[in-house]
Amino acid sequence: MTKPRVTGLLSGFALLLLTTLLMFSCTPQSCQEETEVLIGASFYRSGTGRIAAPDSVTVYGAGKEGSYIYKKAAGQQVIFLPPDASSDYCSFVIGINGIYDTLTFSYSTYPHLLSKECGYTFYYTTAGCTFTTNIIDTVIIRNNRVTNRNEENIRIFF
Amino acid sequence: MKRTFAFSFSILLQLFMFSASGADTIAFPLKIRAGADLFGPAYRIAGKNNISFEGLLIIDRDTSFSWVVSAGYQKYFFSQYNYEYSAKGLFFKAGTEINAISPLVSRGKYFAGAGLKYAVSFYTYEAPFISSENYWGEVNSSIGRISRAAHFIEVSPGIRTEVFKNIMIGWSVHLRLLIYSGTGRNLRPVYIPGYGNGTKSFSPGLSYYLIWSIPYKTEKINR
Repeated sequence: MTKPRVTGLLSGFALLLLTTLLMFSCTPQSCQEETEVLIGASFYRSGTGRIAAPDSVTVYGAGKEGSYIYKKAAGQQVIFLPPDASSDYCSFVIGINGIYDTLTFSYSTYPHLLSKECGYTFYYTTAGCTFTTNIIDTVIIRNNRVTNRNEENIRIFF
Repeated sequence: MKRTFAFSFSILLQLFMFSASGADTIAFPLKIRAGADLFGPAYRIAGKNNISFEGLLIIDRDTSFSWVVSAGYQKYFFSQYNYEYSAKGLFFKAGTEINAISPLVSRGKYFAGAGLKYAVSFYTYEAPFISSENYWGEVNSSIGRISRAAHFIEVSPGIRTEVFKNIMIGWSVHLRLLIYSGTGRNLRPVYIPGYGNGTKSFSPGLSYYLIWSIPYKTEKINR
C-alpha cells in the first residue's frame, strides 16, 4: 500500500523537478551585446554653442591615410572614433568642411568582460585630448569613460 | 502557467499530507548520510572539458528536517575564437533540507523535498588569451591569475529513494542565486566553481547523488 503511494509521490515530484529544469535549461546563445567601443564626439558651432552638423566630415587615423572612418560624410552631428587598444594614445585627422585638424587622445586601457558569448573588449579612461586649431576652436571632454554604450564623450566646437 | 503550477503544487501537498489512524507507533530511523554527486565525474567521462567533484553530508535532526553540508572542487575551461578562460576552486555549502513526504510514508527511505543552502566558492581564474579587433587592428592580451571568493544561495528541490539497505540514489535540481562574485564590474568571472555562469545572477544545475546512510538514533512516531 505504502510503496505504490511513495512511487506515485516521487514520480510526481520528479515530473515537477524536470519541468523546473526545462524552464531554466540553458541553451547556447550568440553574442547580443554591443562589442565596439567608440569615443562619441558631437559637433557644436562656436558662435552659437548649438549642436550642428558640418557640411562634410572626413576622419581617418593618423598614419592610416586612405583608411577612412568617415569620408566626406554629410549631416553627421555625432561621429564615433575607435581608440587604439595597443597604445595609450591615438590621433585622428578630422576634416571639417574640407579643413583638416588633428585630434590626439591619451587614455588608460583596461579589459572588460561583455558576456560569456561575446568575450572581452577594452574600455578606456580618457586622460586628455590635444588638437590643432585650423578649424576646431575647442574640445571639451564631457565623459572620460569610453565604453560600449557609445555615448557622447567629447564636444568639438568649430 | 502560474495557476497550473500552483495547482500541481497543492495536489502534491495534499498527497504528502498522509492522514494517520490508529494509535500504534513506528520506529523512524534518524540517519547520517554521506554521499557524492555522480553527475560531475560522469560529465567528465562523457568527454567534457570540465572536472567537478562534490561530496555531501546530511544529518537528520528529526523526521522531516535535516542539516546539510557539502564541499566540492571544480575545474573549468572555456575557449572560443576571441578568448580563453579557465577557473578552478573549492566550494562549501551549508544549510537545511526539508522532506515533504510524511514520516509515516517516507520512514527514512524516501525523500521528496527541497534544500536551502548558503555557499561560498574560493576560486582563481585567468584569461590567458584575449583578442579584440577594431579599426587599428587586432590586439592580443591576457588577464593573469586572480583569486576571489564568491557567495551564493542555492535552492535544491530533489528526490531520493533507498535502493538497497542504507543506500540511496536520487537527483536534485539546483537553482542558484549569486549574491557576490568577488570581482568588480569589468572583470566578472565567466564561470564560478560551484555556481556556474558568473556573468548571470541566476544559474541552474543538476546533481545525481549516491548516498550511504548510517542510522544513529530511532525516533518513535505515532501511526
